[in-house]
Amino acid sequence: MAIHAPRRILAVSILSFCTAFSQVPDAPAPAGGGAAQPPAAPAGGGAPAAKAKPGQGSPFGQEVPVLDPGTEVMTFNGKNWNVTNNRVFQARFEKFLNAPEATNGEEAAYRQIIDRVLGLLAPGNATVQNIDAAFRLLPYAGRYDIDARLCNSLADAVYSVWQAQRNVARIANANDALEEAARKLEWNIGVVNAEKMNTSGAQQTGKNAGAAPKGTGKSAINPANQTDAQTASYTRRLTESLATIKANQVKKELSELQAKVEFQAMMVQFFLQRRFQHVLMATRFYRALFTDGDTKLNLGKDATDLFAKSTGMPPTVSVIDSMANEMIRDVREGVKAFDFLLEKNEMQGATMRMQEVFVTGEYMPEVRLVPREKKRKCLDFAQKSYQLISAIDVRDYGRAEQLVKDMKKVANDFDDSKPTQAIEGARVQARMLIAKARDAALNNDKAVLEKSLADAAEVWPNNPEFKEATEKLFNQSDVVQKALLEFDQLISQRNYRQIWNDKVRFIAAVAVNPDRKQTLEKVMKNIETIEASMMRAEEMSRTGNNAGAWESLERAWAEFPDDAKLNQERADMTTRASDFVKVIRSAEDLEKRDQVGSSLAHYLKAQKMYPASDFARDGVARLVKLVLPED
Amino acid sequence: MGRRASSSVNPAWFAIAAVVIVAAIAVGWALKGTVADPYRTLAQFPTADYLQNSNSLRGNVYKLDGVVGEQLHYSKSARLISVEVNGEPVSIIVPAELRDVNVQKGQRLLFKVEVGEKGVLKALGVKKV
Repeated sequence: MAIHAPRRILAVSILSFCTAFSQVPDAPAPAGGGAAQPPAAPAGGGAPAAKAKPGQGSPFGQEVPVLDPGTEVMTFNGKNWNVTNNRVFQARFEKFLNAPEATNGEEAAYRQIIDRVLGLLAPGNATVQNIDAAFRLLPYAGRYDIDARLCNSLADAVYSVWQAQRNVARIANANDALEEAARKLEWNIGVVNAEKMNTSGAQQTGKNAGAAPKGTGKSAINPANQTDAQTASYTRRLTESLATIKANQVKKELSELQAKVEFQAMMVQFFLQRRFQHVLMATRFYRALFTDGDTKLNLGKDATDLFAKSTGMPPTVSVIDSMANEMIRDVREGVKAFDFLLEKNEMQGATMRMQEVFVTGEYMPEVRLVPREKKRKCLDFAQKSYQLISAIDVRDYGRAEQLVKDMKKVANDFDDSKPTQAIEGARVQARMLIAKARDAALNNDKAVLEKSLADAAEVWPNNPEFKEATEKLFNQSDVVQKALLEFDQLISQRNYRQIWNDKVRFIAAVAVNPDRKQTLEKVMKNIETIEASMMRAEEMSRTGNNAGAWESLERAWAEFPDDAKLNQERADMTTRASDFVKVIRSAEDLEKRDQVGSSLAHYLKAQKMYPASDFARDGVARLVKLVLPED
Repeated sequence: MGRRASSSVNPAWFAIAAVVIVAAIAVGWALKGTVADPYRTLAQFPTADYLQNSNSLRGNVYKLDGVVGEQLHYSKSARLISVEVNGEPVSIIVPAELRDVNVQKGQRLLFKVEVGEKGVLKALGVKKV
């Protein structure tokens, strides 16, 4: 019978649960949300809490595993597993991919035996002789390692059924004998009662006392008291016989039922273990052993509900038989699909098909006969897939990006949209946080800087851009600190020229320091004044006006006597305008000595030498006021 | 017999007379400035010394022959002018009493100056040259 989609979900749910039973539950795979559940209460502990309401994402409650095929997330007891993303599955799958194909003599012989058994038990072929022949082959199959002695278990179960059936027959024979005895006892009681009645009449007549009825073989009975004793005895023995008959009937039914239940449990067990060929053998033996037509499986309530809700009918032998056949067919088609995809170099599809057939039909001959070189081709892809999932889980997007590139090379059909989206999303987010950190650093906002860096590290810890940015920030911070120290030093030394020479560095360093910024601005302004003076002097000197050039430098020097360059220029110009300088110096010197007349004469001389001289003009003006104070 | 003296004048005497006349003219010409210099009894103004240390000449009176330069200052009581003496400018106070003499730039004037307080020159008299 064809399996509908719900049955497939049911089957894969049960099968996947078997492979995931030893795993620690984890969050659903990044690919999809699945039926995400809140963590359930500890098992065996708070029973009321563990009994979560059915329907919280699962139609079957918390106790029955449910698979979401879209996300490949198994939900059970409130926890989630990705059916292929767990250590046990990965290990077993990789072991399978590395294992050689089962083409050796032992494997071939085993397959032959199984095929022979199935053939003997095929519908229409299951004669008593064939059943016996099939039974005899089971121990031979059980000797092979691949069988894991399951055929021996099947043989034991069959034998138990036969034992039970023989027992039932003996019980039936015993009951027959008991019923015969009961009938005789009833007749005896009837006879005794009749004799009693006759005895009562004979007492009245005295004629038939002690006469035994003909054909009974009984000795002559006594008068009335003896008759009552016999009746009681017969009645007691009849009661015992009837009770024994009843007990035997119950025993017979129980024995038969127990044998059936045990056999059914074994079939279901074979199904859960994905031993579908054993399931077929078991169902065929079942039909041969239990000919009453009762094929209903006696399962627990939850399992029965699961079957009923997913298949729409109660669980029967036919259902499990058809499901096993469907699984076998599915595995065969899966292997064919795998071969085809491998030829087309569609590794992702091929790997997924191989994973599916492995989960379902690990023990099927079609799967075990897949050549190793074919399996090795998808081993690399499978390993990269697991690594990619792990890399994204731990946010190592750099490694994930490399893996995506590698996988695209080996697989034409690799869908990189999800991992690429995750990587790019992380990259964008990290860049935004790094930019925010840079801004905070420029604004000297340490709190925002620290938080932004922490967030960026959390988004993508091994991000090379993050590493580069933090190194730059730290170096920059060092550079800034160093520049500030140097700035303070130069200010204390009044070495403004050096500050001017490195102004670009200092401008950047003091940008966020208002006090230092103000100081730097003042220094820059002073140096600009000095530079302007020197430029003016140079221009004047170029036109032959060394006196004017000297005056320009002298004025600047008076304001900024510590500037080395200015000093140098001034010294040079003093030499070039020595005559004028000498006159001015003499005038100033005489003025200091209160030699007003001489001083004024020198200033006048200087004025004659350089009519535009400010020094001479100012000197004359000063001395004139002394000579002729205002009226 | 002796020869009789000539009756004409000896030419040597003419020569001597010419020389004397020329010398007299020369002396007269030479003395002309001196006789015309009203401050001939005053010493010439020591420009170099003055420039070096004007205070040391305080109280001295000199005659100063120079060319008027700029008027440095004017007030009701005096004028302060610069005068170039031997190429060196000096300043001279011309008091109001000497107002009647026009002092213009470029004029050559003869000053009678006194070195006053702090070496400042004060004109006591001004004559045009």
